[in-house]
Amino acid sequence: MNKFIITVLGKDRPGIISLVSNILYKLGCNLENANQMILQEQFAGFFIVGSPPDISLETLSQTIKSKTENTGLTIHINAVEDNENSESNTRGETFLITTIGPDQKGLVARFSKIIALHKVNIENLKAVFKGGKDPNANIMSYQVFITPDIDTAQLFNALRQKAEELDLDIRIQHKNIFDAINKI
Amino acid sequence: MFDDNEIISTIEMVKNENLDVRAVTLGVNLFDCISHDLQVFKKNIRAKITNHAQNLVETCDAVGEKYGIKVVNKRISISPIALVGACFSSDQMVEIAHELDDIARQVHIDFIGGFSALVEKGIAVGDQALIDALPRALAQTQRVCASVNVATTRSGINMDAVLAMAKTIKKAALLTADEDGLACAKLCVFSNIPQDMPFMAGAYLGVGVADAVINVGVSGPGVVKKAIERNIERNQGEQTDPTLGSIAETIKKTACKVTRVGELIGREVAKNLEIKFGVVDLSLAPTPTVGDSIGEIFQALGLTNIGVPGSTAALAMLNDAVKKGGAFASSHVGGLSGAFIPVSEDLNIANAADKGFLSLEKLESMTCVCSVGLDMVPIPGDITVECLAGIIADEMAIGMINSKTTATRLIPVPGKKAGDRVYFGGLLGEARIMNVPNHTLCDQFVKYGGRIPAPIHSMKN
Repeated sequence: MNKFIITVLGKDRPGIISLVSNILYKLGCNLENANQMILQEQFAGFFIVGSPPDISLETLSQTIKSKTENTGLTIHINAVEDNENSESNTRGETFLITTIGPDQKGLVARFSKIIALHKVNIENLKAVFKGGKDPNANIMSYQVFITPDIDTAQLFNALRQKAEELDLDIRIQHKNIFDAINKI
Repeated sequence: MFDDNEIISTIEMVKNENLDVRAVTLGVNLFDCISHDLQVFKKNIRAKITNHAQNLVETCDAVGEKYGIKVVNKRISISPIALVGACFSSDQMVEIAHELDDIARQVHIDFIGGFSALVEKGIAVGDQALIDALPRALAQTQRVCASVNVATTRSGINMDAVLAMAKTIKKAALLTADEDGLACAKLCVFSNIPQDMPFMAGAYLGVGVADAVINVGVSGPGVVKKAIERNIERNQGEQTDPTLGSIAETIKKTACKVTRVGELIGREVAKNLEIKFGVVDLSLAPTPTVGDSIGEIFQALGLTNIGVPGSTAALAMLNDAVKKGGAFASSHVGGLSGAFIPVSEDLNIANAADKGFLSLEKLESMTCVCSVGLDMVPIPGDITVECLAGIIADEMAIGMINSKTTATRLIPVPGKKAGDRVYFGGLLGEARIMNVPNHTLCDQFVKYGGRIPAPIHSMKN
């Protein structure tokens, strides 16, 4: 079985998921994983599919693109290397790094650079707004996966130093604290 | 990934609502340290306590750092010294207190509790030696906390012990007159003392528990207050009136969240120290900081101040909701798990007393429905031993009859009278001395001694 990742971007409206999933169904593909989000009315969807052996990347791309012409959707398809047996990076812990303070240009660039320099993977990035005009209502949250070989003290110190430079409040907390408080 | 509300509510609880782990308390059993030789006994207890506690502070700090929740106090509770040191004289007991004080300093903890005696049914030789030693032991040390249990629901009230404790408190106050009787802030008199409480000054390690155990005290009055305010604001936004039922539900859910935080951190500390985890005690315990107050919860509930009519009902609801939330969150809830109302340790409660909203009599009635009792209450220094014993006996009776823990931590401040200010500093706070009506009476009642028998409902077998 071949495996592909399909990304779908476009203005949100009813029927996008239905359209994509029905094309895949008719091609005999199995939807293994899917996720979607809506950012300021823009739809972004991610689908990982397994296809029958006779369906190549080219066939899949042509079929999907022909059936979504004139829909305004931008679609990318890539082959995915099946790494089910890979055990790399499975040991580690997830932390949430949260910065609170006035929005400013380059915020994500600066923090993600530090995180990348320490070879830490950002699993999820989220801008959280509490609403209103309070500059402290701007919250950026980075969910990172830290493997045992990472020098966490050095990483956390670098992040805290950067937050201080930018006059931001920063919190670095293991994800379990969010689970303990919110998931009962 | 967590949704926006989950991230925001967690951050708010820590950043703006003073959520913390108030105490991680390491319980250490000292029965295997017993010796008739004082030097050997001191050597044994030092070796055992430091062996278990040498990494306590750094482990708590590391776990607190990992979760972004501060472990404010790291403490130790030990087996009652009156039992493990029963063969020693009162002078030797004072020496033991010094040794404990030094051990506490060595392992960088702020308090060690368990300079204690259990005398609800009678005073044994070791108990008497410890009670005699208490004034000097507490006056000459900084980190040693003491408690004496004088009553239980099953045994009744030992009135000889009540009178002895009244005399002891007066002596301890006099020995620390230049510090407004500070020694008394480290001494609790209990009815139905729990054996796994992580909070000071009453913490000790009971005889029925493991060799070493980690108990956790979680607080969070600021979190509860904010949750109540949000509930009321939400209802106002929807133009509906919140009911007390819905507010109680909010408190319960909040208490549940706070307890889960405590258990998460406590279990990790216990695991890292390779010590058994004991209980979570979710007690709303204040600090003298604005936003970290039990008194402010009463105002959030719509009362002018703690102490006004309605306060006992509000406290009953609060205490019960906290217990229910805690019990749902953890199967191992212990200690007191309720709400404390320590006067000098809570800025808002101290102010309520100062303004005349809260009297000693109202405090006593409120202790019928909440944890502990007359806690950190400064009273006139010239109160008679008989009157002081009467106040203690009243509080013990509330605990005995209602099958609950009650305690007194009263501070008769030498040379000062009702209305004068006292300052204890730090977490112990400051307050104005409360008026004690008829405080110079010398009534015979408490001097008859003997035991007030256990109530009929103690016979449950």
